[in-house]
Amino acid sequence: MFTGLIRTMIFYLVIIVGIRLMGKRQVGELEPSELVLSLLIADLAAVPMQDYGIPITTGIFPILTLLCLTMILSVLTMKNIRFRALLCGRPSIVIRDGQIQQQEMARNRLTVDELLEELRSRGYTDLSVVKYAVLETSGQLSVLPYANQKPPTARDLEVSVTEGGLPLVVVSDGCLLEHNLEALGRTRTWVEREIRNRGCSGLEDVFLLLVDQAGGVYLAPKEE
Amino acid sequence: MTKPRREHPMFRLWSAAAILALLLGLSLANAWYVRRLTAGIGAHLEQAQLLAEADSWAEAEALTRRAWQDWDGEKRYVYSLLQHEDADQILRSFRAVLQYVKIEEMDQYAAANAELIAQLELLSEMEQPSLLNVF
Repeated sequence: MFTGLIRTMIFYLVIIVGIRLMGKRQVGELEPSELVLSLLIADLAAVPMQDYGIPITTGIFPILTLLCLTMILSVLTMKNIRFRALLCGRPSIVIRDGQIQQQEMARNRLTVDELLEELRSRGYTDLSVVKYAVLETSGQLSVLPYANQKPPTARDLEVSVTEGGLPLVVVSDGCLLEHNLEALGRTRTWVEREIRNRGCSGLEDVFLLLVDQAGGVYLAPKEE
Repeated sequence: MTKPRREHPMFRLWSAAAILALLLGLSLANAWYVRRLTAGIGAHLEQAQLLAEADSWAEAEALTRRAWQDWDGEKRYVYSLLQHEDADQILRSFRAVLQYVKIEEMDQYAAANAELIAQLELLSEMEQPSLLNVF
């Protein structure tokens, strides 16, 4: 029992640190090689965690090897376009000018049902409104409608709008996040004044305070 | 929000390559160390058998005990890097050989000793960087 507990902790920490070192992209979007990595790591960690007759190094050495190889491949794919194409493949255009590219679909083993399902999930039921549909290397479908099917933007309508900027969390559950406050160029006094103006007595009464770069404030007080 | 940290991508590449090289070095060092350990113990056991065949049972027992102490002294290393089942099997075989050498039972001793030497050889063989092991 004790062995299992300690081993689980060690593997968990090794994998968390490893995945963290891989960078953010690996966590969100899995390329084929990253999917393989995830599956292999899960399997390599699970076996020594349960079987105490297998040394922990039997799991850790291959995991470290896989993480290092992935790190090397990810840098090489970033640096070399040909290598990237070889490892990750290239995006495929499956609809061009409203026409289904049957050869591309066959090459990617994408069925019509799957294509239609993906299009419906993005709100497109009529193929003729789709200018391009691109099957990305991550397996996701990007859909670009014809220009006359896109909703008009403020620029199209020639309307002037104020740029809000990126809202940052300044107070989270009563705690002031100094680094975000600094990034916004505001002071603690300003925050306290904004809080009081919105009916709260102090930081401890605030559940969430968002401030954008234009000075827009969103405040959610703590519930009683 | 944190300010973006400037880190050269090649730093990651070289760090990963260095860790891989370190792992490769460790695996080769392990193969060399296991071979040296098992070869030394195996030589003691073979020598002990020659002594037993010459009816020098006391010396044969002393040499077998020395081989056992050499193995037992590396217990932490062995259990950290090798399959526990293999290490346990060698422990059981050592106990049997020590018992047979003590009661001076030649046939049983010779068979148990040969099995122990073979187990040590196989253990070492399993760790060697060879195509046979890879495939």
